[in-house]
Amino acid sequence: MPEIDFTQAATITLNHYLSLSTGLFCLGMLGVLLRRNVIVMLMSIEIMLNAVNLTFVAFAHYRGDISGNILVFFVMTVAAAEAGVGLALAVAIFKRFKDVNIKLFEQLKG
Amino acid sequence: MMDMPSFLFYIMTFVILAAASSVVLLRNPIHSALALAITMITLGFMYFGLEAYFIAGVQLIVYAGAVMVMFVMVLMLFDLKKEVGQVTKGTIGALMKVLCGMALSGIITWAIRYSSISTELKKPLQNPAEQMAGVKILAVQLFTKYVFAFELLGALLLIIAVGVVAVARSRGGTHARD
Repeated sequence: MPEIDFTQAATITLNHYLSLSTGLFCLGMLGVLLRRNVIVMLMSIEIMLNAVNLTFVAFAHYRGDISGNILVFFVMTVAAAEAGVGLALAVAIFKRFKDVNIKLFEQLKG
Repeated sequence: MMDMPSFLFYIMTFVILAAASSVVLLRNPIHSALALAITMITLGFMYFGLEAYFIAGVQLIVYAGAVMVMFVMVLMLFDLKKEVGQVTKGTIGALMKVLCGMALSGIITWAIRYSSISTELKKPLQNPAEQMAGVKILAVQLFTKYVFAFELLGALLLIIAVGVVAVARSRGGTHARD
């Protein structure tokens, strides 16, 4: 049984952050695929965007480059706008059908 | 023995993944929204750990504050009584989707494991010009190098605001009775 160097194993590298980001992104993707409630699907999309943000911030930190943080700023703005549009569409759906299931979206027009 | 940053990292990883799973798995959308808020707040703490202090603050204010309030308010507006048909039908289809998610996760993890960039960056590079200046460097870059994109974002937000009102106001707004 070889001796394990815990001081070496304990340091958090970029790989740790990237792996966490991968798990988070795939959880968000599963949410989009599995759930039929439009609002929960929007929440899952937010999870995916946050996973990407974590990747940007981790790279910015480990490379000593601030550009990643600026890109995160942009992603957050676009994510807020996307959530606004999605929720407005959900309101439009709910007014007509009293439900927010994704299958009702095909009946939207005008 | 683990040092303090690693310990905090693993605690936060556990909380983030557990809360994100709850968003997907919980049946009640309000509970999903609360789990999403926990995810956002813990990610904000993780940004603190990555020395992105301004981004961490924006994460807490914009995501954990504004976006979450928007989600919860829309949920309360809806008054969803029944929780029927919220998950995809069919065991085979759901199983295929879960398998696809796990396959994607495995592929990305494999790519991370065997990429050269992540083995090179074991420790943070210390760029003397850009460390510890945080918000100032960020602001200077934002208003010089990225100023065009920044202005475009302003235009985008204006267009989105008009579009959202136009979509949500059709047929009598949120107070339609029919």
